[in-house]
Amino acid sequence: MGGPPYDCMSNPLGAVRLTFEKAIGLGSGSETVTHPSAFEGKDWGALELFRHFLFQESGLSKVPILNPKTLRWVQHNSLVRYRGMIQDMLGNEFYVGAYRDIKDGSSWRTNKFTDVSQYPMESPSVTCIWERRLLYCVPVPGQSSWAEPSCDMDPNWSPQSREKRRRMDGEDSDPMDLVPEDEVKSSPITKKMREDGLPSTSPEPMDLKTASSSPGMSTVQFVDKDNLPCLVKIYDSPESDLKLNDVFEFIGVLTFDSELAVEKDDNELSNSFYDDALVHMPPNKVPRLHCIVHRKLAVHDFLPGSPIMEPKPHLVKEIREALFRHLTAVLGNDGVAAHFMLLHLLSKVHTRVDDVAIGKLSLNLIGLSKESVSVFGTRLTQTFKSLLPCTKCLPLTLEYLNTASLAPKKDYQTNRLIPGVLQLPEGSHLMVDETQLESGSLNSIGIENTKILKNLTEFQKVEYDFQFYKVEMAADIQLLIFSDGKSNIVPADVIVPFQPSALESSEIPVAEALEAWRWYLATVRSLPHSIGSEMQKVVEDDLVAARQADRSLGSQDFSRWLTMGRLISSSLGETCLSLEHWQMVKELERLRKERLK
Amino acid sequence: MASDSSPANFNNGPSSPDDSFSSPIPNTSSPAHRRRRGRRQASTPSTAAATPPPNPSRFANSASTPTPSRSTKRGRRPATSPTPAAAATPSSTDDFPPPSSDGGDDMEEATPTFVWGTNISVQDVKNAIQMFIKHFRDPQELSNDIYGEGKYTRMIHRVLEVEGEWIDVDAHDVFNYDSDLYNKMMRYPLEVLAIFDIVLMDIVSLINPLFDKHVQVRIHNLKSSTSMRNLNPSDIEKMVSLKGMVIRCSSIIPEIREAVFRCIVCGYHSDPIVVDRGRITEPTSCLKQECMAKNSMTLVHNRCRFADKQIVRLQETPDEIPEGGTPHTVSLLMHDKLVDAGKPGDRVEVTGIYRAMSVRVGPTQRTVKSLFKTYIDCLHIKKNDKSRMTAEDPMEVDKGSQRVDDDVQFDEEKVEELKELSKQPDVYEKLTRSLAPNIWELDDVKKGLLCQLFGGNALVLPSGASFRGDINILLVGDPGTSKSQLLQYIHKLAPRGIYTSGRGSSAVGLTAYVAKDPETGETVLESGALVLSDRGICCIDEFDKMSDNARSMLHEVMEQQTVSIAKAGIIASLNARTSVLACANPSGSRYNPRLSVIDNIHLPPTLLSRFDLIYLILDKADEQTDRRLAKHIVSLHFEDTEIAEHDVIDLATLTAYVSYARKNIHPKLSDEAAEELTRGYVEMRKRGNFPGSSKKVITATPRQIESLIRLSEALARIRFSEWVEMRDVTEAFRLLEVAMQQSATDHSTGTIDMDLITTGVSASERMRRESVLSAARNIIMDKLQLGGPSVRLLELLEELKKQSSGGEIHLHDLRTAVATLASEGFVVLHGDSVKRI
Repeated sequence: MGGPPYDCMSNPLGAVRLTFEKAIGLGSGSETVTHPSAFEGKDWGALELFRHFLFQESGLSKVPILNPKTLRWVQHNSLVRYRGMIQDMLGNEFYVGAYRDIKDGSSWRTNKFTDVSQYPMESPSVTCIWERRLLYCVPVPGQSSWAEPSCDMDPNWSPQSREKRRRMDGEDSDPMDLVPEDEVKSSPITKKMREDGLPSTSPEPMDLKTASSSPGMSTVQFVDKDNLPCLVKIYDSPESDLKLNDVFEFIGVLTFDSELAVEKDDNELSNSFYDDALVHMPPNKVPRLHCIVHRKLAVHDFLPGSPIMEPKPHLVKEIREALFRHLTAVLGNDGVAAHFMLLHLLSKVHTRVDDVAIGKLSLNLIGLSKESVSVFGTRLTQTFKSLLPCTKCLPLTLEYLNTASLAPKKDYQTNRLIPGVLQLPEGSHLMVDETQLESGSLNSIGIENTKILKNLTEFQKVEYDFQFYKVEMAADIQLLIFSDGKSNIVPADVIVPFQPSALESSEIPVAEALEAWRWYLATVRSLPHSIGSEMQKVVEDDLVAARQADRSLGSQDFSRWLTMGRLISSSLGETCLSLEHWQMVKELERLRKERLK
Repeated sequence: MASDSSPANFNNGPSSPDDSFSSPIPNTSSPAHRRRRGRRQASTPSTAAATPPPNPSRFANSASTPTPSRSTKRGRRPATSPTPAAAATPSSTDDFPPPSSDGGDDMEEATPTFVWGTNISVQDVKNAIQMFIKHFRDPQELSNDIYGEGKYTRMIHRVLEVEGEWIDVDAHDVFNYDSDLYNKMMRYPLEVLAIFDIVLMDIVSLINPLFDKHVQVRIHNLKSSTSMRNLNPSDIEKMVSLKGMVIRCSSIIPEIREAVFRCIVCGYHSDPIVVDRGRITEPTSCLKQECMAKNSMTLVHNRCRFADKQIVRLQETPDEIPEGGTPHTVSLLMHDKLVDAGKPGDRVEVTGIYRAMSVRVGPTQRTVKSLFKTYIDCLHIKKNDKSRMTAEDPMEVDKGSQRVDDDVQFDEEKVEELKELSKQPDVYEKLTRSLAPNIWELDDVKKGLLCQLFGGNALVLPSGASFRGDINILLVGDPGTSKSQLLQYIHKLAPRGIYTSGRGSSAVGLTAYVAKDPETGETVLESGALVLSDRGICCIDEFDKMSDNARSMLHEVMEQQTVSIAKAGIIASLNARTSVLACANPSGSRYNPRLSVIDNIHLPPTLLSRFDLIYLILDKADEQTDRRLAKHIVSLHFEDTEIAEHDVIDLATLTAYVSYARKNIHPKLSDEAAEELTRGYVEMRKRGNFPGSSKKVITATPRQIESLIRLSEALARIRFSEWVEMRDVTEAFRLLEVAMQQSATDHSTGTIDMDLITTGVSASERMRRESVLSAARNIIMDKLQLGGPSVRLLELLEELKKQSSGGEIHLHDLRTAVATLASEGFVVLHGDSVKRI
């Protein structure tokens, strides 16, 4: 390979090893060797190296993204990245972090970022035990196709590497030339595959064939072809950094450590000691990723390659106009509904005060029948899919309510959190189609599910069922409900009677427009917001006057108005509520009220 | 050991081959036999783990041996098995020839031995333990004779008497006696506990040389308990204590301890071969000199010894899970008596040794993966939860001491913090502010709720009469006045509470019901909401929509605080010492100020009078409140909510504060407070007597004075004060008055009238009715002949209206008046016509 002594891409472990040796003062020739226990839970410089490589040398784009497609050719022990949602946490794992080489009793080796030690490790050797966290990640649920990171962004790299690999196959030399031959060969799988002449160490053959062979697969839904879960091992980062349902990009060392699963332990006793979860996750289905760098992804991180633009008011207004026109067209020329839809798409939970989630604006379009939903619903679904990174649709039929598992549930047999439909990352969009609901009786699951839906809309919280107790998890999901009358199962913040005047389908927007709109929706959402003291006075006076006039107005209505005010001003790219925006809120509310009559 | 016991066993074994399986049967065997059993127990990891192999390799070793070798154990029991063990079991001792592992033998030779890798002398530890057992005295016992036996010596005697198998040693005792020993025990539990066992056996054999059971030590109640989340590599091989919930138990696994092989050629039985590092070495050839047949030995299952073993998974309790995390779990290894000690769902506190074993790459390979599986070798398990129903004696006095959920533990730091808080002069206001901070206004209601949370002292007189300490509150109000939010909030805050809605509750659902167990067919009593919220708060929303039947059940609960059941062969009285917090909507959706509370909410007065405080939360068309609402909402949306909420105690602290106060503070009435109560009560009663007025208004009833006492006790509790002071009483009066002014004010006169609550009719109303009655009587006397023709009611009404000067008279007033006259036998009422008789 030449060049630098290490290749972060194809031999990250080598880089790790080098930095480790440097850190403990092995290579420098100095007499004093730092005891590796000093590095427990700490980085010794490897991180910096990778950060530099990824972000300064823009190596990030060259790192292949792990998905079923790339899985076929990505190499064992090479650097990959993986985008996914943390679906479950499997606790901590202890491993031999550093140990003394038996050949010469003085040199230390590290096992960080790998599962199997690269050097033979005899049982009674001097070791340091460190820990790492296990996270079970799944691809972001409901992710739109445009939001998926494109894997052909490195077209130059992959064929080249394929070629390189082929060449190496010929020589039968492992690309990780630092790894002693005998050690790698001792793993039966690699040996076998090499004998078979199969493409190198690629795990592809066992990927799909064995997928269904393992018994007790409770999470079957994740083993389909386009859905690649990943077991991410996190090193040295505080627990509060990574939370359940967060979407992350993990960059790290990929291992297909086949041995653990292949060798079912003979000893029944110690088998019961295995983390049950791991037994149900053979590495041939769930690759392991030893994470070196991870970063949280927000909505705008999904925008493929768009430059970070300054949200300038005039630019924003232009885009807003265009998007509004598009939404109006999609909604059959119903301008009021389009207005509310736009605000709805921009809503997000800003803060929580006790149980109140501030900033949410769930929308209920009423007056829809089964037929009109089939027209507008599908149209909207497509629109959302092209605009939002994560969307999901929930057909609320009686059967669905009675059978679906909306909230995640812990299965103690497998020690896994069985995902529910409502385990969604922050900022997801959820459409609930209630028009298909017919009268009938709900069973206990159905009742539980309606309760969960109601809780979600009212408090933006989902109760996860841990059987012996329930744990409330905060959610931030935009809810759009289609129904004939006002939905009681999902009591939305805004109820808008839908009155389309045209049926003809809207034109398909051009790609640039779509991109601009995506950028708009992602950026404007997170604008800060404030209110001037004068405006505050006006708003307060208006609220008081409204309440004096109509006693039925409550805090919920006021809250909705203020949310709308905020959304209107940020939809125009402003960060401060102005009188004009407030008038717009009142006007919109008036129009809505008229329709409701 | 093998050398002394096994021959005996060999001779004796065949006669009772089953014995090896049925260890709990104590009567089958010869002493030798028993001793062996005892030793088998000794080999549970807690004790036998005494093998301190070279330190770094320990992990690797324990890796392959979840059940550690018991080689040293045997060597170390000089008292019971004087023959040195090494000879008998060369295989096991040879593996770890060196240091302290053979401490037992070495000790006899009085050479100083050390726990491997440390400078802890085995002899020192042994001495320390001996001293501890012999000399430790429970400081609380305050026994006068210093020469009496120590706590643990007595315990040993007791164990010997009942032939027990272990003694529980409180780690606090160890710490108090010898903190150095405690620290050593925490850091080197395997070694120290093994020595502990040896010492124990020495003592046992001194007391009763014939006692041949092995007595184990079980440490519990450590100084500090770890959170499951914080277990880290440095805790490996240390003693830890954890709290959690059992979520899964494996089936019981018989684990082989000793194996006996038989030669199929000559029938020779081998000596029992003990487990060594999780493995049994099978002899490859017959050991009998004459036979020596190769590969002829088979396992004789009947003569092998097995021990119970179970793997249990423990999960974090919900309160330990950080935001955005999932609960952690940890595996526990239970042996012998600990098996089945916890069932899934139990909250337990576990003391044990945190251990790790490495994962083998494969059964055939020597290389070890770099991973470890961790588990806890359980030494002691304590259940934390008592069942709510069975915990207490039905008529036991509420000392308040058991009031708190058992989960809430207070460490000293927290207590200090709470006490500091209680010393603040404005703690009452501060707590009020912190109660449902997003519901503004309603300060007096919140103060009332606060009192309910803290509660008064229950009292049982020697005569058997009991007074409840729980404060019941009713909130009546217009829709949209955040009553339900308040209820939800209190439900969340209350140490124990049930939230139910009146519409969805039936009488049995609230109290208790008898059900048939589907499996056994037995009738069982299932408790309802009120019983479940015993010593807590039962929140009932939509109280007005509750069926009358269900509501009538509340009578008993709210004053007697019990639920009596007599059905299906079960007659029982269950405790329901619960505070009731109910909220109701007015019957005509909006409160009609012209009607009384009773008319507005359609609740029977008998029930209403059982509420200590009744608050009317009315939505007045008041610009001031509207403005405040507007301000509040605007600030919610625009301001940094943290700033808006400053100076507010967070929910966790508030809960802790309430729990602590309920548990530890039991205020008594001071003399001056009592005087003030009497004075105030008399004054309240006096207010009903208007000078020169014939109207007798009852402004206070004995129920009120009870309420007042409860309220002032609660107020004292809020201040963490053991004495009810003057100011508490004054505040209690104020609270009661505020509540009464709202609910018991007679709207026609503006004075407080308890009759409104107790009978639903105010005194002025009664007077008016009387005047209508007398007027009607006069008219009938005038107009109607005795036995003459009947008159229609409407005609009478016309007459009345003509005669009466002031005040309107309605038909229904007249109707009630005529009905009264009819009951007097003065007139007869047929439909609408009145006839004099």
